[in-house]
Amino acid sequence: MSAPAYEKVILRNLQDPGYRGTLAEYRARGGYSGLPKALQLQPQEVIDLVKQSGLRGRGGAGFPTGLKWDFVPKDLALTKYVAINGDEGEPGTFKDRQLLEQEPHPIIEGTVITAYAIGAHVAYIYVRGEFVEGAKVFQRALEEAYAAGFLGKNILGSGFDLDFYMHRGAGAYICGEETGLLESLEGKRGQPRLKPPFPAVKGLFGKPTVVNNVETVSNLPPILVGGPEWYAGIGVPPKNTGTRIFSISGHVERPGNYELPLGLPLRELIFEHAGGIRGGRQLKAVIPGGASSPIFTPAHLDVKMDFDSVAAAGSMAGSGGVVVMDETTCLVRVARVIAHFFAHESCGQCTQCREGTAWLHKMLTRIDEGKGRPEDLEVILDVCDNMKGKTICVLSDAAAMPIESYIKHFRDDFEHHIRGGACPTGMA
Amino acid sequence: MPTVIIDGKELTVDKGTNLIEACRALGLEIPHFCYHPGLPVVGQCRMCQVEVEGQPKLAIACATEAADKMVVRVHSERAVKARKAVLEFLLLNHPLDCPICDRGGECPLQEYTMAHGPGKSRFAEQAIDKVHRTKARPIGPYVIFDAERCVLCTRCVRFCKEVPGTAELGVIQRGDRSEIGLFPGKQLDNPLSGNVIDLCPVGALTSRDYRFKSRPWDLVARVDTTCALCSTGCSITMDVRYLKARREVLRVRPRVNKAVNTYWICDQGRFGFHFIHDEARLRAPSVREDGHRRSLSWDEALGRTARGLAEALRAGAGTVGVIASSRLTNEEAYLLQRFARDVLRTPNLDFRLRPEQEPTGDRKLDVLRHADQTPNTRGLRAIGLLPGAGGLGVAEMLAAARDGRLKALLVIEEDPLGDPRWAGPGQEAFARLDQIAVADLFLTRTGEAGHVVFPARSYAEKEGSFTNAEGRVQRVRPAVEPPGQIWSLAEILGGLARHLGTPFPMLGPREAFEALVREVPAFAGMGYEALDPVGLPLSGNGKGSAG
Repeated sequence: MSAPAYEKVILRNLQDPGYRGTLAEYRARGGYSGLPKALQLQPQEVIDLVKQSGLRGRGGAGFPTGLKWDFVPKDLALTKYVAINGDEGEPGTFKDRQLLEQEPHPIIEGTVITAYAIGAHVAYIYVRGEFVEGAKVFQRALEEAYAAGFLGKNILGSGFDLDFYMHRGAGAYICGEETGLLESLEGKRGQPRLKPPFPAVKGLFGKPTVVNNVETVSNLPPILVGGPEWYAGIGVPPKNTGTRIFSISGHVERPGNYELPLGLPLRELIFEHAGGIRGGRQLKAVIPGGASSPIFTPAHLDVKMDFDSVAAAGSMAGSGGVVVMDETTCLVRVARVIAHFFAHESCGQCTQCREGTAWLHKMLTRIDEGKGRPEDLEVILDVCDNMKGKTICVLSDAAAMPIESYIKHFRDDFEHHIRGGACPTGMA
Repeated sequence: MPTVIIDGKELTVDKGTNLIEACRALGLEIPHFCYHPGLPVVGQCRMCQVEVEGQPKLAIACATEAADKMVVRVHSERAVKARKAVLEFLLLNHPLDCPICDRGGECPLQEYTMAHGPGKSRFAEQAIDKVHRTKARPIGPYVIFDAERCVLCTRCVRFCKEVPGTAELGVIQRGDRSEIGLFPGKQLDNPLSGNVIDLCPVGALTSRDYRFKSRPWDLVARVDTTCALCSTGCSITMDVRYLKARREVLRVRPRVNKAVNTYWICDQGRFGFHFIHDEARLRAPSVREDGHRRSLSWDEALGRTARGLAEALRAGAGTVGVIASSRLTNEEAYLLQRFARDVLRTPNLDFRLRPEQEPTGDRKLDVLRHADQTPNTRGLRAIGLLPGAGGLGVAEMLAAARDGRLKALLVIEEDPLGDPRWAGPGQEAFARLDQIAVADLFLTRTGEAGHVVFPARSYAEKEGSFTNAEGRVQRVRPAVEPPGQIWSLAEILGGLARHLGTPFPMLGPREAFEALVREVPAFAGMGYEALDPVGLPLSGNGKGSAG
């Protein structure tokens, strides 16, 4: 059974065996031909073009990219910055890692286009600390781009200057939150800022800043080359255009990154592209958009995997991390593991998140260990309610929403643990 | 100016006012931990959540500016539940040591829990999983840190960063492992460190000085007064309780005065008051006889001094000098300059012993402290406690004493012989004087040289006013009784006048202040009551005359 094939936008070159993403290889396949097109346009024309393409951020929130750029003040005298988010930390997501390691030049080209559009002359990329190989490859790519005149002074004779610096993170999930990232870039403790003001107005070092995800900007060169109409024709126009990379992991036959048009049914992702459930077992649950997204059940298999359809089905497309779980999985253990992650990663500023994430983890650990009490589930649900929508950033929501969804859809697993003190799946 | 509607009540506030301050103006307290009007807003504790009509999420009142026609519901069901939840979260790992916590009884966490909090914990992890942390760790000369009680509001962190600018403290680790801590190699030893004790909304930062000394309900008086330990004149409150059947000042705290110290005081002002209860304080007048000091009654001491002064006065005009301290109140200074003029008939009057007491000599050491360590230099200058026409200043008085032209000297709360700048010329001069009368808190070098020594009252035992370096006149109030039968300066001067047979009015502090208002232009128009709570500025240039 071969999966249906779709046009690829970002991972196109990687289909060639032996492609290593060097400047020469990238250029040989048409790389760096989007940038000159952008430089011939007025910055506002580039913004409008990206708006027409319908491109939405691939980092998690799915915010329209062109609109985000348009919020930046147009005052030419203002210093502005671009910050590229390569701090990919959402459990279940590993697409930016592949781009950094194997296809770094579209990130650079897309960043120059972004900087040109908003009038920034300095850009930073914040690379997750664990991405040792990605950082090495990306640094080399930066040097190649400088040497070839795609970065630095007077890029391609346009008179536009851009310096691009790489900064490596130190292992905090919260530094992937855009204002936490900016704090960390400034050399401070990585914790989200109170908003407003938003980064577009007051961002890095207090200046207007656009923060875009690695995958998001990788879409820009093809959009400039192919035109916004071409891009908007992929996926589910007008609001869910283009492709995205789904990182599919868990109990499937072929885990990996799959670049697919937005809007394919979840069923197709799992059963055709990822080869179905391993060993012919039954599907039990799917995390559709990274650890912070509420869980799906087999009843959700026909949900279309685009931003708005996933939201309408009660979850979020998030970072594109699809985690598939078969019948041997106990959702109590999943909840415990997820809760541990968020308790570990909460920055600790806001009371609800600092205390709530840890409390959830303690309660779920207790239930998993067979020491649950009948009233625990109601306490957990109420704690989740008290954590949602009440904090500086959404980490608190990201911890509470999935736990709520696990109890909502898999209450039996929890009650069985509490009543019998043992796991129905026999998970050790 | 925007008009907001808070719980149905309309209120017009200045633009830029946040909802916490707007509610305060309505007499409604929105509970909060991290917000403090003197520090940057961080919106971290999330305690001050309120409902704002038209906004899907609850708003934090600290970071929400009151806008025109904004409808705020502090007591909506959602807002109440959210605040109760924050308290529940904060209390999960909070130790149940209120009975032995210094903050008990004046603790916002305790008060909010009583008023808004859950009565019972749903936290079932107590025994196995409660977070335990270091208790009672000294982190600086004045402050002890109890990490278990901390609610991570970061007021202390922001204070050290923003006000003294020393940034000794930070948040270490993250999530529920977060803890306030010192940066490596640092101590919380900036000159304003004690403010973190007041800022802490729980008992995490307590005073090494005050710890375990008292409960708030043991305090019998909270006396609003003015610090006398430098020329800044910070507004303070002295907390008083009975110890060994005697009232003592146990603690000094800042009092809000936006014109002077805003919300803060320095460590010197906060912890430097203990000398008022020192065992070595003088309690009775004494006289030096055959190289020994002998106590004597007030009447006897005043009589002896008066006889000495009378003898000097018989030798001619200008044979008596007065050196006074700029620790005197405005009222004391007024009486003393009148006494010099009318009773002693001398223009030899001065207070300037140190360069920082000169008109341009004072300077700020940091955001609060001044170099001049006395509270009323500006007042003494305005009142004219300075050499009159043909009068002698301090150096000239000492020279005249050496020459035998000056026969008698009154020294009030100053110690020229204890000051290296004056000790040399002073020794020689004092040896020649026929009559030296000294009034002070302790037996100083100058006192040892004095023929008669009177005990004097400290700033915690005086009533009146000081004029700070900026020319602001502020009230001083007695918080405690003097340690013995110690006459006020007004009473001493009155007693001397009586023994000398010269009429001199007995004026209490209020009457002296009113005379000052009538006679000294810089004080014109002031009312004694109107000095509360934050003082009044001197009028005109306030520099006063030299005569």
